[in-house]
Amino acid sequence: MPLDTQSAIIEMQGISKRFGPVRALEEASLTIHRGRIHGLVGANGAGKSTIIKVLAGILRPDAGTIRIDGQEVTRLTPALVEKLGVHFIHQDRLLVPTATVAEAIFLRHEPRIGPFLNLRAMRRRSAELLKHYFDLDLPADALVQDLTTAQQKIVQITRALAQEAKVLVLDEPTAALVKREVDSLFRVLRRLRDDGISVIFISHYMQEIEEICDEVTVMRNGTDVGVVDPRQSGIDEIVAMMINRDMGEMYPARSVAIGAPVLEVQGLSRDGSFRNVSLTLRAGEIVGLTGLLGSGVKELVQCLFGLDRPDAGRVAIDGQEVALGSPVQAVGRRIALLPEDRRAHGVAMGLSIADNIALASMQRYAKGGLVSAAKEAAIVDGLIRDLSIKTPHRHNLVRNLSGGNQQKVAIAKWLSCQSRIYVLDEPTVAVDVGAKVEIYNLMNRLAAEGAAILLMSSELEELVGMCDRTLVIYRGELIDEFTRAEADTDSLLAAASGAARKTARETA
Amino acid sequence: MTMTIAAETAAKPARARGALRRQGTLVLRLGALAMFALIMAWFAFTTRGFVSPANIFNVIEQTAVMGVLSFGMAVVLIGGGTDVQTGGIDLSIAANTGLCAAVYATLLAGGSGDLAAAAAAIGTGIAVGLLNAFAVVRLGILPLLATLAVMNIVAGLELTVTENQVIGANSTVTQLIATGRFLGLSVLAWIFILFSALMTWAIHYSRIGLRLYAVGGHPEAARAAGINVGAYVAGTYAFSGFCAGFAAILLVARLSASTTATGQLLLAILAAALLGTVFSRRFVPTAGGTILSTLFIGFLANGFQLSNVSYYWVNGVQGVLILMVVAVTTFAKPQGK
Ligand SMILES: Nc1ncnc2c1ncn2[C@@H]1O[C@H](COP(=O)(O)OP(=O)(O)OP(=O)(O)O)[C@@H](O)[C@H]1O
Ligand SMILES: [Mg+2]
Repeated sequence: MPLDTQSAIIEMQGISKRFGPVRALEEASLTIHRGRIHGLVGANGAGKSTIIKVLAGILRPDAGTIRIDGQEVTRLTPALVEKLGVHFIHQDRLLVPTATVAEAIFLRHEPRIGPFLNLRAMRRRSAELLKHYFDLDLPADALVQDLTTAQQKIVQITRALAQEAKVLVLDEPTAALVKREVDSLFRVLRRLRDDGISVIFISHYMQEIEEICDEVTVMRNGTDVGVVDPRQSGIDEIVAMMINRDMGEMYPARSVAIGAPVLEVQGLSRDGSFRNVSLTLRAGEIVGLTGLLGSGVKELVQCLFGLDRPDAGRVAIDGQEVALGSPVQAVGRRIALLPEDRRAHGVAMGLSIADNIALASMQRYAKGGLVSAAKEAAIVDGLIRDLSIKTPHRHNLVRNLSGGNQQKVAIAKWLSCQSRIYVLDEPTVAVDVGAKVEIYNLMNRLAAEGAAILLMSSELEELVGMCDRTLVIYRGELIDEFTRAEADTDSLLAAASGAARKTARETA
Repeated sequence: MTMTIAAETAAKPARARGALRRQGTLVLRLGALAMFALIMAWFAFTTRGFVSPANIFNVIEQTAVMGVLSFGMAVVLIGGGTDVQTGGIDLSIAANTGLCAAVYATLLAGGSGDLAAAAAAIGTGIAVGLLNAFAVVRLGILPLLATLAVMNIVAGLELTVTENQVIGANSTVTQLIATGRFLGLSVLAWIFILFSALMTWAIHYSRIGLRLYAVGGHPEAARAAGINVGAYVAGTYAFSGFCAGFAAILLVARLSASTTATGQLLLAILAAALLGTVFSRRFVPTAGGTILSTLFIGFLANGFQLSNVSYYWVNGVQGVLILMVVAVTTFAKPQGK
């Protein structure tokens, strides 16, 4: 590919950044051209977010030069970078939880009438922008802290889109978004690119990288190891550069005898969210659950988690009816929950990796009330290795891990607690491809040991690859069920967006 | 055992709490209003003179001083975040008022001009505020500790200025503030109204206010949005210092003297500013909430006085209010950041 340096809008060269003993970046370089969508890929902990935070003026590099629009900038601050026309969506959702949607979108770009904020314009325009870009009706007065993870992401993306950007930087914007929202985002990005705007796009979804990026920088261990054209190189080659080894089969094969029902849900309803949902989960079975944003699928999972009270319906575990009222009860029934918002709810950021994992599975390691330190260490180290959590030591604080590695700790924590039923909400979001396979292996192992798994996911490939059955929620109703043989991404998507029902197609 | 429970609550996603919280805060807001109304009604029926116009104006005039100070505290709470341990707080504000009042009265008594004395009072207040800002923003000391230390420094300074004496002071300006009337309202009442209006604009209808809330709500997010977080936080302490200086002028005018007991105001200021957070669904101080709670605390103290209840009880009640508000808001706030 001809790299015309004349058209480079951002040139970062020889950037190094250390956190104590951890070398997050080591002589990393990144060149972004005008009017291109530039992918940035690498395993969890490769240094993607760090180089982005250096560019954003949030982290000061130990060494290296940065040129924006041909000008060398030495003291970058967030305000200066914005003035230069570079806008960001950071991986750790940097939004003010107590702000309203309108305030979050217009913070620091507030419309005014004289000395007064134009609150009405803020509300109206934020609603318009959300509608325009994502066809989403969010009340402009809703508080950010009350939104779902996906909604928060969309608010953050909308904030960046609302500015007149020359460069737009998106650090894993599609994690937790469903296909339809991703498509909306891609439409917007392509339009921006055609207007000459550059985009830096970070994602662990290789299909997305292949679909939207014009060029890709691959990072490994804090350094850039190559720039490739995704249309020529193909996913396999990029992944090989990323993890420097052969990955093997993405969705490992599995054959398990499916046993007796362990979780039976009958006529579960919650006003305004979902109606009359019935489903059965059998031992050894992996059942998928999907639906668009606002379909009610999130609310359904909340009720199964025991976090929301359904208005009607019955839930039985092992044939015994239970009142699933609180999460404590849910865990007493040996249901393990992996919540979607793991940064906020799944891990204790201020504790070490070892403590986090031990927290969920005290009973397992405890003998007569005492935890055997050696045994705990062995198990924790095993999980760190299995999931390739990138850290110098198990006693390191979770706070200091990269985004994806924090996710892995949460997953390790919940997968190690030996339950009978697992409800997993987006377990592989933000996790690199190598670790994804490890998580799939872990799930398969649990199922083989007789656990029942409900896998809630917006990644359709994952459902197709992993699930014995996949249930689709549309507008609050369970409208379709696909067996492993029937499921493919297109028909799942068609069902989830209400375009076509399997049953309808079959009779037609 | 306790650890497992902690893990479970930590696993509780935001939205279930969100719904609960929305209902909870509504109940809380209505409950607080009902409590205000109930207590006012009780005083109105049981205490002679409580509802007389003279008394009401008396309270409103007293409240002018308290209102200015409560706003100073509220702004610090907004910018520092309302986390009880690490959030913004200015414990030195009452002592600072005392020092400013001493400076103001001493200068007036010594024959200085009105303008010079007022400038010195406000300058003193801001200087103390900047000391707080330096300790909190530059040195990174917890506001609770930093302002506690400054409170003691300032109280000591006040004693050296006044030698623990009441200093009488009188001038055309203090006369005007204490006894002037305009359109049927006293000058003090006007000052309270205008100051409240200005603060309502600054907090809720200006860019500064919106950004200040962001700084307090999530400093990293504010920084990533390009806001100079340190400058905003420093600004809140400078502003509360300004409020101390301004309130000192009003106080000296009302009493025609500086007093030695200004430090006791701290509890009431804190109670008013914290109570004000109950009226917001986000549990942050608001202009309306601050005004309402300041008036409530003013009337509460006044009602106790009129019913001949010892002043110590007022302190006790304010203390209980602070505990209640902190407990309730801590419970109702979402966990985990
Ligand atoms: N504040 C910090 N203190 C210590 N180490 C850190 C800190 N921030 C990042 N690191 C380390 O720097 C390395 C790079 O992290 P970075 O967040 O850039 O990874 P990433 O490529 O974005 O990964 P992911 O895909 O998981 O988001 C990691 O090993 C991480 O542990
Ligand atoms: Mg990252």
